[in-house]
Amino acid sequence: MFPTISIGPLAFPTAGLLTILGVYVLLSVVERAALRLGQDANRLYSLAVTTVVAGFVGARLTFVLLYWPAYRTDLLSIVWPLNSGFNVWGGLFVALAAGFFYGRFHQLAPWPTLDALVPGVIVGLIIVSLIDFLAGPGFGKLTSAPWGITQFSVRRHPVQIYEILVGLLALFSWWQFHRDRLFAGQLFLLATALYSGGRLFVDAFRENAWIAANGIHILQVICLILMLASLYGLGQLAEKTAVNRA
Amino acid sequence: MSRSRLERIILLLFLAVLGAAWIYYSREPAQSTQSFLVEAPIVGQLAPDFTVSDVNGNSVALLDYVVREGEGGRPVVLNFWASWCGPCRIETPHFQELSLRYRDQVAILGVNQGESLATITDFGVSFGLTYPLLYDADNNVNDAYNVVNLPTTIFIDRQGVVREVYVGAISQAVLMERINRLVEE
Repeated sequence: MFPTISIGPLAFPTAGLLTILGVYVLLSVVERAALRLGQDANRLYSLAVTTVVAGFVGARLTFVLLYWPAYRTDLLSIVWPLNSGFNVWGGLFVALAAGFFYGRFHQLAPWPTLDALVPGVIVGLIIVSLIDFLAGPGFGKLTSAPWGITQFSVRRHPVQIYEILVGLLALFSWWQFHRDRLFAGQLFLLATALYSGGRLFVDAFRENAWIAANGIHILQVICLILMLASLYGLGQLAEKTAVNRA
Repeated sequence: MSRSRLERIILLLFLAVLGAAWIYYSREPAQSTQSFLVEAPIVGQLAPDFTVSDVNGNSVALLDYVVREGEGGRPVVLNFWASWCGPCRIETPHFQELSLRYRDQVAILGVNQGESLATITDFGVSFGLTYPLLYDADNNVNDAYNVVNLPTTIFIDRQGVVREVYVGAISQAVLMERINRLVEE
């Protein structure tokens, strides 16, 4: 809807601006969450920066490797322009690997670290939905609901707004429980279960969903697995904590 | 097995069944989106049709290339540009090279924004362009595609459906990847 944001005679790409803003907010949220949980904020901030940078570089390099013949003749094009040409899965893999090895190297306890990171991750996902809403290719299914948005004379579900609301719900759960958490990992698993459960529900209203050959939304399957795994983990950790206390 | 653990397992099984049922209920029936297509420059919708002249005075229409029903059309890449636009100048050689490489598989059309026929012709000559440069005299095509920033590139599949709206200079690798995707479908 708004591929560019115009300020006077200048026009800036919405996605680029929001990505920069999103990274800044994400890192700030991780830092504040670490402080609230009484963890080493500097260490977690560095972990988040390492993961974000590794993800960015990994996504780009994966894309370049996949399409090497096109870059071979123009090496400068590997680093510019950067407004596209990223492989999400490559980026995700490299980011997770970088975060894992950073944590191992600095001997960070996994569950407390994930508790502090999860609000940042959810903020990142909220920003992705916002970019998709303002300047992305995504759009919802047709609806006659009063909250539908009109795109070219057709009313559609504002599916990205639903996704943002799900993210806010997960953030709210983190905020509600962070003072009284019963065990390390509770915040991470609860927020993950809520977010994935919510996305499982709202993805049904997405018109351009990622679909398998039989018409099943692939993201919904991933979300169902994540939700069940998180709830199972919650139960296991709660039981372990109860046994230890007894 | 303790009672609380049994309750948790039952709850998980219940949620698994509920989630699977929702996934099944919201699955997409085959070809369901096709009946809802409207003409609009957004991804997943039919690309607005147009008829304009190229620099040689030949009439060019989108429907000359794509087919809205049946088979036989070919994908179209619409590149909106202007001679004063720096990023457009950077990406123009990529369009030229790929228009030759994919000569019979994809149609690349350069749609100018708001410039004279002489300027468009000079631009084409200076870059040695062989793909059609379209003269959009009243910016009707630019308006129909909501082009507010240059360069903008729109990828249209062989059925005339917009597959991607790309704002900003595009690298040759990205352009080739997008074209490959369209051609292989």
